[in-house]
Amino acid sequence: MLMLGIFVVLLVLICINVPIAIALAVAGVIGLVAVEGTSAIVTIALDMYAGSTKFSLIAIPMFVLAGAIMNAGGITDRLINFVSALIGFVRGGLAMVNIGVSLFFAEISGSAVADVAAMGSILIPQMKKRGYSAPFAAAVTSSSASLAIIIPPSIPMILYAASSNTSVEQLFVAGVVPGLLGAAGLMGVAYAFARRYNLPTEEAFNWRELRHTFVDALPAFALPVIILGGIFGGFVTATEAAGLAVIAALLVSAWYRNIDLKHLRRAMLDGGMQTAVVMLLVAASVLIGGFLTRAQIPQQLAEGILAVTAQQWMILLILNFFFLVVGFFLHSAAAIILVVPIVIPLINAAGIDPVHFGLVVTLNLAIGQQTPPVASVLITSCAVARANIWAVSKVNIWFILVLLAVLLLCTYVPSVPLFLVEYFYR
Amino acid sequence: MKIIKRISAAMSLLLEWITVLLMVILTVVVILAVIARLLGDSFSWYDEVAAIMLAWITYYGSALAALKRRHIGFDSVLLSLHGTPRLVAVLIGEAIVLTFFILLAKAGWEVLQVLEGEYLVSLTWVPIQFTQSVIPIGAILFIICQLLSLPEYLSKTMKGISLEHAEIEEEVDSELQKNAHRIKEAS
Repeated sequence: MLMLGIFVVLLVLICINVPIAIALAVAGVIGLVAVEGTSAIVTIALDMYAGSTKFSLIAIPMFVLAGAIMNAGGITDRLINFVSALIGFVRGGLAMVNIGVSLFFAEISGSAVADVAAMGSILIPQMKKRGYSAPFAAAVTSSSASLAIIIPPSIPMILYAASSNTSVEQLFVAGVVPGLLGAAGLMGVAYAFARRYNLPTEEAFNWRELRHTFVDALPAFALPVIILGGIFGGFVTATEAAGLAVIAALLVSAWYRNIDLKHLRRAMLDGGMQTAVVMLLVAASVLIGGFLTRAQIPQQLAEGILAVTAQQWMILLILNFFFLVVGFFLHSAAAIILVVPIVIPLINAAGIDPVHFGLVVTLNLAIGQQTPPVASVLITSCAVARANIWAVSKVNIWFILVLLAVLLLCTYVPSVPLFLVEYFYR
Repeated sequence: MKIIKRISAAMSLLLEWITVLLMVILTVVVILAVIARLLGDSFSWYDEVAAIMLAWITYYGSALAALKRRHIGFDSVLLSLHGTPRLVAVLIGEAIVLTFFILLAKAGWEVLQVLEGEYLVSLTWVPIQFTQSVIPIGAILFIICQLLSLPEYLSKTMKGISLEHAEIEEEVDSELQKNAHRIKEAS
């Protein structure tokens, strides 16, 4: 009964646009007071403090900062030039370039919205000029940017790892193959559209041009090499890799002579504020988490579902469906912080690999970024393309189907995401 | 109205500099620690100090985010209400947020009294009262910022403007402007 009351409170608060972090905290405090009386209120200060000092989450401000420095540092242009030289000759070349650049961007930034704004504002207007429809341009940008959150480094993955006590390094590794498969799928759909609507190719393939743009973009590749190489090779932890990424971002931007104190201050500020928004959610979740644990909700949920079925595929199907629905209404960070601690006991009891499940959750939330009403990446793309969100969604359905196919594949063929993890870690 | 704008601007500047300063400290600490570790050395104080910086960024940055109304929310239901119900819902929501932070400030203050005379584990000259002060101070700053940004939030919401969309428009406009020269070249 109390649990139902708390849930209703939470829902009502979220519906009247109380920030989700504070809605979680308030629901947690009410639960706490109901169980332990008003004397428990003083502990909220301790919990809110302890919740904001999670060491593993220091990777978040560092990756966001590295990304913000890179966005300001002239790297976007060079990546676009290189990818254009690489795949621009294909029919629908600019769409391919868009998807390819998204993959690279994923390596250097955690924030999909900032990436879409930075990259989309260059590529989408070009696509429109070359005869691509605005909704198609927006859909390609939006879906490929969302796919990028499963490719390391990924802030949702860092949050998942912290919420479930899983290795973030293994989760990063698990994202690589599904990310590449997804990109190939998106390119396939884009190609089909390009054939059907006779979209243009860009300049013909030219080795000299490719070599030239590659050399120009070379310093920018330092980042993925540091992040992936460092982590996969076991030289550094995710947090340390994030610190190195900041150094690399600074060096690369200095190399391109594209960094000044004004940009740097802006990057620090954006990084700090984005971190604060996510961390307040994390801190507040400690309050509601304490209540849920005391009320044994996660255990009861696990027992309840296991009483119905102990089949892994069935449990994964239920959770997939659940996370897809959650993704309609919650931002990915909020969804992970709220839901993952509740379902983890079920995952463990059912014997599902938490790294596998983490990838499944992240993919679900990537799709959630494409589905209104809460769809920040989609909305950003539409704003850049000046296109109506429903017109974009009609085209975007095809791209979402690709993401769903990757999700199903990763859910039911665990070796797709996990074989690299096995190779490196097990 | 004008005075609120002036105070907001001053508050924003102050919190921006605090946030930037904390980010710089955290970045330097993390980078130094990585380099030291790769060279085979490590700082005993690194974990504790970095975690404290993260907590401080959380609360000072959150106050700033409250001033700019950047905290993650869900406004579709609110915006589907009309007239008085929407107004009432907004005011109730704000009252709840403020009440929570008043409670947090009070609890944070009481905790500070209890922590009198305790020091960090790795840096024994730093009182825990100092590091934990972020909770009551952050809560009070949050309250001030929430109140300062309330008039604009109220007027936008009553006009049916979603703040998240407005924020995205702003970001997109600045990026489009930045890249305007490129787009002309392409044509």
